[in-house]
Amino acid sequence: MPELRKDPVLGRWIIIAQERAKRPTDFIIAEAPVTGGFCPLCPGNENTTPPEVLAYGRPYGAPANTPGWQVRVVPNKYPALVIEGEIDRQGEGLYDKMNGIGAHEVVIESPHHDDIFARMDLDHMILVFHAFRARILDLARDPRFRYVLVFKNYGRAAGASLEHSHSQLVALPILPRMIVSELQGTLEYYNYKERCIYCDIIRQEIQQQVRVVCQNELFITMTPFAPRTPFEMWILPKRHESGYHNQDDQQLAALAAIFSETLNRLDACIPGVPYNFVLHTQPLHSENMKHFHWHFEIVPKLTSIAGFEWGSGFYINPMSPEEAAQYLRESLVKGPQEARP
Amino acid sequence: MKKILLVDDEEGIQLLYQEEFQDEGYEVISAFNGEEALEKFRSEIPDLVILDIQMPGMNGIEVLRQMKMIAPQLPIILSTAFHEYKQDLSAWASDEFIVKSPDLESLKEAVRKHLG
Repeated sequence: MPELRKDPVLGRWIIIAQERAKRPTDFIIAEAPVTGGFCPLCPGNENTTPPEVLAYGRPYGAPANTPGWQVRVVPNKYPALVIEGEIDRQGEGLYDKMNGIGAHEVVIESPHHDDIFARMDLDHMILVFHAFRARILDLARDPRFRYVLVFKNYGRAAGASLEHSHSQLVALPILPRMIVSELQGTLEYYNYKERCIYCDIIRQEIQQQVRVVCQNELFITMTPFAPRTPFEMWILPKRHESGYHNQDDQQLAALAAIFSETLNRLDACIPGVPYNFVLHTQPLHSENMKHFHWHFEIVPKLTSIAGFEWGSGFYINPMSPEEAAQYLRESLVKGPQEARP
Repeated sequence: MKKILLVDDEEGIQLLYQEEFQDEGYEVISAFNGEEALEKFRSEIPDLVILDIQMPGMNGIEVLRQMKMIAPQLPIILSTAFHEYKQDLSAWASDEFIVKSPDLESLKEAVRKHLG
């Protein structure tokens, strides 16, 4: 029997429709082969990108935009939003519009073309999380921007257009609808219970141990109660904190450790699975929020969005998060074929 | 005379661009698909390439990455009707990205910028 589940923050409904017991390998999607060729993100080709806004790893005194970097952040060469100009909000009758101001940056996560984010050394992965923090802090100095969205597309099916490992940041002059909904949902819960809903979720999940995938001293990875796709996971700090930018180096090291473990467990279940991850953090220029809790959402690209989903806002998920969590917990211990609950 | 390799599968575009760029004083050679483009890129050694993206067989992005492997400094202008290819990071290998328009001035300006 299918089951309807409600996301406690967003109020979004999803349908868990387990028609038959699916194994992780049943979800494997053949990715289009990578054709390769010249890569604008590789060292030596720095002149094909706009001048960098951040680089880690180059020896002290070495000139910018030359090889020797470990992580490099550059503005988008062909941006959808432009950084120059003042915000100009206009009305057209009852409709609202504004000019396309924003900053779109690409985080080149490694100098090595074939590196895969999940398999990077922890020391290197930490640099990527440092880069996210540094760029959020820098973009926050611009009063025109209200939010910085950090995200990664891995695999063609998840929207990655180039195989060289990279993630992206977009600074926006408006709050994304998804963030507004999370802020509203968490505030409603806080006003009623005077507690952060994510802190409550973490407490309950640790107690129940059915949707926890892995954890370390500072972070937890879990499958949410109402996931949009099979193997959707959230990574949350155990200590309440609304802003990613406030994480210290020790916290970012622990984040890299759990991120690496999480992605490796996912890859062990479904080798090469395409995925997106997004960072949800507090809006820019806001004080620490008692009701909001920053987190990463990892969404494997395993199902398609069709008419029903577009029309209803519901998602149909063919695997329960409890089953997915069990596969993920066991994935590094056994191969996906043997890990069936 | 500077030589432009024009890669586009549409005959109408080929005729229009040939006429316009010949009038501007360039020699124009044509290729109608990716494979032919790579062959002429090697044999004709152009000074600049104008490259469509959506073509049968190899698309322009794949052709671009192959050409830049052979001659990284040679200017290549992506010319497409599809603005969304701007979101493809592989397009960064190009030197210019021009959305096709009946007014060829921005394309001509980009060619002048690179060929003088």
